Amino acid sequence: MDCEESLPLLSEYHAGALDDTQLNGVRQHLADCPPCCDVYDDVESIVVSASSLRGEEGISFPDENAVWQRLEFS
Amino acid sequence: MSAAETNEAAAETKPKVTDFELAQRSAAGDREAFEELYHRHFRRVYALCLRMTTNPSTAEDLTQEVFIHLLNKIGSFRGDSAFTTWLHRMTVNHVLMYFRKSSTRSELLTHEGETPVQIVRGTENAGKMPVVDRIALEKAISELPPGYRSVFVLHDVEGYEHEEIGRMLGCSTGTSKSQLHKARLKLRDLLRRQAAQN
Repeated sequence: MDCEESLPLLSEYHAGALDDTQLNGVRQHLADCPPCCDVYDDVESIVVSASSLRGEEGISFPDENAVWQRLEFS
Repeated sequence: MSAAETNEAAAETKPKVTDFELAQRSAAGDREAFEELYHRHFRRVYALCLRMTTNPSTAEDLTQEVFIHLLNKIGSFRGDSAFTTWLHRMTVNHVLMYFRKSSTRSELLTHEGETPVQIVRGTENAGKMPVVDRIALEKAISELPPGYRSVFVLHDVEGYEHEEIGRMLGCSTGTSKSQLHKARLKLRDLLRRQAAQN
């Protein structure tokens, strides 16, 4: 498997969703290709960081009472 | 213990009214019950709208619309799922509807070629992508095309499965997976550019 074949499969590789043939192909390619290995590591970092965005931390909220007052039915 | 303290203690021990009960009362026309639901869920709804649009003003407008829509539809909530799950799904659908209606965001999917990132041995920057912090990632997400952003936020931030994203976006599971991968590669590119500029 070369870079062109491996790159589109890296997210599915990360998700553990590849069949055995693809899995082994990507695994072998990553062992031989530092640039693709970097891409994989970066994808993994993005996935881990993205999960930390869930929820309300770091968000500046508008005044919910003011928004309530502006609702047409209130 | 003073009367105020007694009342406060009584309030603390009083069982909290469930969302389902509040929804039923709201459906029957109890505006106080609906206001209680609003205050319980306002932040969650706004946060989701903001994550998907990355625009505070738009997020506020959509949050208002979601609660107006909720009031109209609350009688259809049967308690089969958690109220938060039901409202979350309603919010996602409302934002996606906004994308569909918007003239500048008419497409829910992003079409940007099949291979947004290509690696040629020896030309890749040897430097690793910097550690991804929240602010950098939020900025990069805001620069994603809306189609990529929707799939990325729904899957990687909100935790939806591809099957459900496909149903919401009206596309196949395979398309959702493909859009997600391209979104991640695009984010990688944006994050590396950010780092290079700093």
